[in-house]
Amino acid sequence: MKVAPSRPNIEDELAPARRQTNAMIAIDNVSHVFRTSGRQDHLALSNISLIIEDGAFVAILGPSGCGKSTLLYVVGGFVSPTEGLARVKGQAITGPGPDRGPVFQEFALFPWKSVLGNVMYGPRQQGVKSAEAEVQTRALIEMVGLKGFEHFYPKELSGGMKQRVALARTLAYHPAVLLMDEPFGALDAHTRTRLQNDLLNIWERDRKTVLFVTHSVDEAVFLSDRVVVMTRSPGRIKEVVEIDLPRPRRRSELLLDPRYQKYVVEIERMIDDTSEEQLRP
Amino acid sequence: MMSGRDVVSRAAPLLACLGLLGLWEIAALVLSTDSFPTAWGAIRAIPSILGDKESLINILDSLRRMAIGFAVGVIVSIPLGLMMGRSRLVASLFNPLLMVTYPVPKAALMPIIMLWLGVGDLAKTLVIFLGVSLPVIYHSFQGAKAVEEKMLWSGAAMGLSAAQRMIRIVLPAALPEILTGCRTGLVLALITMVTSEMIARQSGAGNILFNSLDMGQYDTVYAMIIIIGAMGIGLDAAFENLRGKLVKWSEPSFEIPLSFA
Repeated sequence: MKVAPSRPNIEDELAPARRQTNAMIAIDNVSHVFRTSGRQDHLALSNISLIIEDGAFVAILGPSGCGKSTLLYVVGGFVSPTEGLARVKGQAITGPGPDRGPVFQEFALFPWKSVLGNVMYGPRQQGVKSAEAEVQTRALIEMVGLKGFEHFYPKELSGGMKQRVALARTLAYHPAVLLMDEPFGALDAHTRTRLQNDLLNIWERDRKTVLFVTHSVDEAVFLSDRVVVMTRSPGRIKEVVEIDLPRPRRRSELLLDPRYQKYVVEIERMIDDTSEEQLRP
Repeated sequence: MMSGRDVVSRAAPLLACLGLLGLWEIAALVLSTDSFPTAWGAIRAIPSILGDKESLINILDSLRRMAIGFAVGVIVSIPLGLMMGRSRLVASLFNPLLMVTYPVPKAALMPIIMLWLGVGDLAKTLVIFLGVSLPVIYHSFQGAKAVEEKMLWSGAAMGLSAAQRMIRIVLPAALPEILTGCRTGLVLALITMVTSEMIARQSGAGNILFNSLDMGQYDTVYAMIIIIGAMGIGLDAAFENLRGKLVKWSEPSFEIPLSFA
């Protein structure tokens, strides 16, 4: 069964040329090996090629250990791939930079800074004057729904609130690409849904390029324009599914939409297949 | 308004001190020997020590050496410990040295140091420095090692250089652990201060203590112990106060109802 009107593979004839013109991220034949002393080398990523155009919301989906986070870290410049090259706006990625802003599952907030201090950190680092940075920062904090919590410290916040701060902190330095590493993975179902909705609302405003790593099929289909399904050991791209659902998306409507349900079922089946492969000797 | 429980918890240390002094008083009265003065007798000797110019200079000399040894120890040890925590190379260079020197009582090095540097300020300050360094290095090392990688990545994405990440992320993130080390270091500084003055008898609080013991002035001996003890308690309390202010953000949080529901 094929999900209409999906494009099952980005290697499809017309697509690369068209996408290359406004490619934000180009991942070219990237492989990554983790070398651990005493144990066998682990091939985390194997020959990954992927092009993500400007303004696209792309989910990378796969079982745990499929290297999806590693792929994100390569784009972030936090991990140097063993082979291959990733580019952002045509420039080879050699390290982290403010054009690519990460949001981690672990929040990674600066606990010694208040909410305001955390969100202001990036702009201040980039030389924005204190007063000006504060005005921008307060607006961002309000946008992520934390007005009134400016002077709270991270330890005083719930998980969902911490992730809101982390998102605001990253948005504050205006990265061209948002790199989200299972950002809602540590949150309860209710909080998770709220944050998904809020993220979409924020994204609708300026349509940044988003690379969103998740292991939740629902989340991937609900949020993205395209879902990249990966297989495990070695991490490979199994399939790329275009999600042709209207925006702005509303969860209540989408859950009842047969097209949404079809995508979810289809992708779940793909993931089951990849797991089957694992079981074979 | 302080609740009854608050009053009790605040008065507890004072009650403990008074209780201890009471027991001492009774024991001294019962035993009634020259070498064991009463608590009141010892306390009465304190003003005369603090009023004596020479004793006061001795005590201030002690404090000066302690302050210098502690300050230099902290200034050297924190960067070293942090670098060890973030660099495998630096850690493998210094770790063996630390493992060997950590359990060695620093006062045991005093004879050698005296041979080389004499019995003056330098030798004593050096011993204090050694006493302070190891716990501060160790805790800074542990603190830096525990800094979350993703926090450093977040900083790197904002454009912080490696040196900036060290000063602006590793240092504050490790601060609670560093200050725990400094607190231990402060107490060790006091211990090594007194010990060094007992070995190299030339000046200082430890010197007064042992001179008065030699001369059989037992009131003074006990009074000096009280003074040194009070110095330790005072310094520790002041440091804890400062520490609490610096790392308020890391102390266990009280429950605030926070939710969007």
